[in-house]
Amino acid sequence: MFNPRDIIEVLAANVRQTKSPFGIPKYMVNTWFKDLRLPKEGEYLLFTGLMYQFSPFIETATQYLEKYEDTETAGYLKYAKWVPGYISGIGLAMMTKRKEKRKAGQLLKNIAYLLHKSKVNFGYRPDLDNYSGILLYDMGDQKGFVAHAKKVAQKLKNAGIKKIITIDPHTAYALKELFPKYTGISFDVKPYFELLNFEPKDCGLEVTLHDPCFFGRYLKASDITRKQLANMGISVTNIRNQGEFTSCCGGPAESISPSLSNEILEKRVKELGEPGKPIIAYCPICLGNLKKSNADVEDLSTLLARHA
Amino acid sequence: MNSVNLDFAEELKEYSDDTAFECFNCGTCAAICPLVHDNFPRRMIRYIQVGAKEKILENSDELWRCLHCGLCTHTCPREADPGEIILGLKRFVLANWRKS
Repeated sequence: MFNPRDIIEVLAANVRQTKSPFGIPKYMVNTWFKDLRLPKEGEYLLFTGLMYQFSPFIETATQYLEKYEDTETAGYLKYAKWVPGYISGIGLAMMTKRKEKRKAGQLLKNIAYLLHKSKVNFGYRPDLDNYSGILLYDMGDQKGFVAHAKKVAQKLKNAGIKKIITIDPHTAYALKELFPKYTGISFDVKPYFELLNFEPKDCGLEVTLHDPCFFGRYLKASDITRKQLANMGISVTNIRNQGEFTSCCGGPAESISPSLSNEILEKRVKELGEPGKPIIAYCPICLGNLKKSNADVEDLSTLLARHA
Repeated sequence: MNSVNLDFAEELKEYSDDTAFECFNCGTCAAICPLVHDNFPRRMIRYIQVGAKEKILENSDELWRCLHCGLCTHTCPREADPGEIILGLKRFVLANWRKS
């Protein structure tokens, strides 16, 4: 396990300096929309919170953290907070494979396609699409989180945004529950899968759904995904820990302790694999973590886009 | 030897809602926690109840093994909100580190 203080101070300094926990400049992270002609205005604003875009960089960072956990080298992490965020961020971006960045971008394109096909009136403004600060909240840096969240929320409010589509559970929880409480600014927040509207189909498939903690338990949104899948004739297997009682995959532990993350992952993958069906995740952190186990796993948006 | 700080629960109010005394130490949270073993988070809540501030600071790294998955809060029969208590302790410990 790394010293939590070292990790928190690096993440907090990065968010203060670059608005990103990993220090990667936004122009290097958020590129998925560039070859699409998405409208800027609409009833809803698509707000990714950059979490899907971060996932390939998280994977690279975790590979290095795994090497140094519980070694003498880990002690040097405390000096990382003195390295300017952009420098370490650009370094991390350069070490991350282009192929992985493209794959993460494709998931976002799938989501935009699904919304478009469902005739949802939405716009996308890259200038308003920022990281929510959720990692600082989870790590206990309340002051850092509130300061960052206020800037993000105020920018959205100044642009006249009232209705927001989120795509990952962490950003959805931050905008729906934490922003009203800690910034005093509220939005009508909906996860993208709640707005999908397709003709019923019969795909004749069966999958195992890994409900992320924040969609399954905190936001109680796991029934919505099941209804969407049922509408397409995709049935969901029953496992012991699902819906409101879903079990963590260990993904969020990657920074503090990759070994703890792997320990939890192993247990969860065993449970998810028992029915012998493809596994569907709908959180970028869960997806990235479950993939490490070589399980047959894909994102909900990939499955839906293939059959919509 | 560790001393007991009778005002500790009061001190924590700055960092989270005051629900630790709702807990009657049934251990449901510790049994269901998929992340940390060894009587977590029940032990930490007991430390708050008895004012064992130093014990919490000594074992503070353990708090960050909790990933805020919320299963303990969801199943707590006393609605003591163990997940939020742990998050409050993280805020308290971090504030202490930054002061030191």
